[in-house]
Amino acid sequence: MARYGMALDYKNCINCKACEVACKEENGVLLGADKHRIWVGVNEIEGVWPNLSITSSSFLPSQCQQCDNAPCEEVCPTHATYYDENGVVRVDSDKCILCSYCMNACPYDARYVDDRTVTVDKCTFCSDTRLARGLTTTACQNTCPTKVRTFGDLDDPESEISILLKTRDHFSLKANLGTEPKLFYLT
Amino acid sequence: MEVEISRRRFLQGSVALTVVGGTMAGTTALFSEEEKASSASPRVPKTVTTKTGTGKAEEIPFLCGMCVNKCAGFARVEGGIITKLDPNPYFPKSRNMLCPRGNAGIQTAYDPDRLKYPLVRIGKRGSGKYKRVSWEEAYDAILNGTKLFKGLKQILDEEKDNRATIGYCNGEGLSKEGFETLVGQKLGSPNYVDEVSICLETAGGGFFATLGVYPEIDFEHSDYLIISGANRAEAIITPDTMDMFKRTKGRGIKTVCIDPRFTNTAAKADKWLPVNPGTDLAFVLAMTWVVFNEKLQNEAFMKKYGVGYEEYKKHILSHKYTPEWAEPICGIKAKDIYTIAREFMNAEAPVYYPGRRSIFSPNDYQLRRAMAIFQALSGNIDKKGGYIYGNPIILPPEYVNAPIYAQAKPRFDTEGIAFPTLKSGSWIVFRNMILEGKNPYPVRVMMMRKHNPMMSVPNTAKTRKFLEKMDLNVMIDILPSDTAMFADVILPEASYLERTSPVKSYGFLEPAIVQRKAAIKPLYETKEPEVIFKELAEKLAKPLFEISKKYDKDLQEQIKLRGEEKVFEEDGWNLADAWEKPVHEKNKEIVEKAFGPKAWEILDEKGVYYPHMEEYHKQLNPNEFQYYPKNRRFYSTMGDKKRVICKYDHLATRGIDPMPTWHDEWKFSVPEGKFRVITGRHAQFTQSGTTNNAMLRDLIPTNYLWINKGVAKKMGIEFGDMVEIKSEVGQGKLMAYPTEKIAPNQVFMLHGFGSESRGLELAYGNGANDAAILKDDIEPVFGAAVMHSTNVEIRKV
Repeated sequence: MARYGMALDYKNCINCKACEVACKEENGVLLGADKHRIWVGVNEIEGVWPNLSITSSSFLPSQCQQCDNAPCEEVCPTHATYYDENGVVRVDSDKCILCSYCMNACPYDARYVDDRTVTVDKCTFCSDTRLARGLTTTACQNTCPTKVRTFGDLDDPESEISILLKTRDHFSLKANLGTEPKLFYLT
Repeated sequence: MEVEISRRRFLQGSVALTVVGGTMAGTTALFSEEEKASSASPRVPKTVTTKTGTGKAEEIPFLCGMCVNKCAGFARVEGGIITKLDPNPYFPKSRNMLCPRGNAGIQTAYDPDRLKYPLVRIGKRGSGKYKRVSWEEAYDAILNGTKLFKGLKQILDEEKDNRATIGYCNGEGLSKEGFETLVGQKLGSPNYVDEVSICLETAGGGFFATLGVYPEIDFEHSDYLIISGANRAEAIITPDTMDMFKRTKGRGIKTVCIDPRFTNTAAKADKWLPVNPGTDLAFVLAMTWVVFNEKLQNEAFMKKYGVGYEEYKKHILSHKYTPEWAEPICGIKAKDIYTIAREFMNAEAPVYYPGRRSIFSPNDYQLRRAMAIFQALSGNIDKKGGYIYGNPIILPPEYVNAPIYAQAKPRFDTEGIAFPTLKSGSWIVFRNMILEGKNPYPVRVMMMRKHNPMMSVPNTAKTRKFLEKMDLNVMIDILPSDTAMFADVILPEASYLERTSPVKSYGFLEPAIVQRKAAIKPLYETKEPEVIFKELAEKLAKPLFEISKKYDKDLQEQIKLRGEEKVFEEDGWNLADAWEKPVHEKNKEIVEKAFGPKAWEILDEKGVYYPHMEEYHKQLNPNEFQYYPKNRRFYSTMGDKKRVICKYDHLATRGIDPMPTWHDEWKFSVPEGKFRVITGRHAQFTQSGTTNNAMLRDLIPTNYLWINKGVAKKMGIEFGDMVEIKSEVGQGKLMAYPTEKIAPNQVFMLHGFGSESRGLELAYGNGANDAAILKDDIEPVFGAAVMHSTNVEIRKV
């Protein structure tokens, strides 16, 4: 039993997409532009050449925010979306009926249709792959060249993530919605 | 419920297909559909990606082969299938990371378009018509030819054993030396060309000539960075990329990015200054002027280590290389040049990033010299936070018993070059002299491996003519590249995940040796390169010895004196004797001899070894490891041996400026209505070798033409419009990407796209090939290719 979360030192991100590839290879995610559990948000730069605003060009690595109060779980009519024992928002393929309510409810656009398992799938924090094998890092964290992510147990006060969140300023995405994300962006 | 999604079905739905239209659908593949289907093997996964399991698995240490950089990883193998590549936490160079290309390596190994068995050409050259043959038949075709082409035996007989009639080329990699041993030392060809003369030759050369090293950088302790031309966020190099961007953006390293276009590196900088292409030298000279004029330099350091230092000072000041002089040349404001020069010299640990990129302008050698001297003026060399010489681990040299060919002529590719490199030559000069009939003897054979000059050497039309001119072309590779399509015999190699490679040493500051181990056995009928070298050597040795016996007087004499058998074995004519032991066994022997059996045990298990590794290596937190404790790292190793060669008189003996000097012929200008085309890399692509990788193609469907937004608007060009790009040497078609990230008189395109090989289902006909458009200009020092000197016309089609 743990309460898993992730801190993202997002200023390190160089938009190389190693995380995206590692995630797809680890979790058997299908190829195709609309099939991804993880992505990097990019703002098109502001200004007119050569006066461009460097600060307007940011890379924001993102994925399922693993909400403690997940809208996708709330709207699921078949209870296919559920919280597992570690607080990770998961999907039961057998119960999913592809109604796509969860896709509409998610404010982070983190759900997608996996054509192979016929499920509206999502990031699992590698629960059924790496964590199931006893590893303590997700594929995206482990491979990152600039080490953007730190994954860990929010309930363990000694964990690296707990220490980071105590010692660094951070924010959550769309915190005003009350979704209580377990992804934290370090500033 | 599980539904199998085949690669083909993925393709049908992919963005890539819809954007390039009919080109891919019309592909007539190198192999028939039937042959593709029959090559389905239980050793190849059924789907593109495979979810990793929780059961039994092997973890095999490998060294990545997706680019030249060499990062370490572990391959997870489940039931004989590689399901995942993970970073290796033991290698100080790659610091527990794999980039997107590294992660996508599985797709290269399992690429359905792989060369699966030996092929012999049965149609016209370039037609892609080949016949599947056995290895023995393929080797025999190289030796004896077929009715369509001549073999080595006949050619060497006709050339009276002049081994220089064989040319050869090879791309970067761990088995490169073996191929050089085979064709260079054992077969006796001096005519070797490789990636060096189309890559960073002047960067290495300029830094070596000035500081005696092409240094590493200690980014952990540096606090100011000028990065010009290099694009470390997209052309990933370890450990630089990882170390650099953890500390940019107000977190330790103030970063100034000098680049004509706004790259991802610029996005991470504090300041981005768009420089006119090819004029960085004026920028550096002007900064140097500011330093001397305001006496900001570390005078004691330069007095001690500088050679020709006073003359250089006089040279810079008397030429009046002021920021005001530089501004109209390089396009960077004088006040910015003053500020950066002052900030650099006032910083605690400033770094002018040495580079690592292809050569963009003919003054690149002088640019590198000027950069190295500018760095030295800060005194931040051979110390923490600066340029590092370090203490690389030296592996024992290997001895090759090479025969001496009396009839072999020397190489000739020296026209227009001040300092021709005997080893790797100049691709462009070698090719062009042959095309222009300036070769003193016929070059009739190209032995090629893992190299794609059709897409990497500027002016593809000339490369095509060059390859067509040969009597015999042989290619060893993993994919049917554009160049492979000109081969008469194709030998399929095992990919980097299917082979154990010779041990290598990497790193200056935190050195280590590494071994790549085969994660799986070679797929299909492919073989490891060293096995191919050995078998080919065995096949060629006796028959070619007979040719030498016929023409080589020295050999005839030796045989008379000592007997044929003795001479054959003792003097290296037994070509296969360089590969007596398999690679893994040889690695063991080398490492045990140099570092002891325990070292081998560690290396073989973990893929990495360095002295005291067990004691030094530890995990610091979930993301970071200690490789060497700080007090054991090799920050300062040169002592008083350091030299800063400001004036290099030897250069003047061949007409090269002994001190970096600006010449106005290097000024940047583009005729009205034209654009200067610049090229570069992307984090999700290396070169033409990765364009057929399904995973990477999913991330970047094609190469776009970056064109200034305002200009595009005037020309009526919108995002996704197909445009033609045309230079005096060639043309291509690709889609437009109007953006503010590039100047109005420049366009940019990614390197590596626009393949014409129908054997590459994803790469064929996708985007444009920059090599077909770039002029074949060379720089004067080594004759290396200059990439950014071509003007083009753009037209919506």
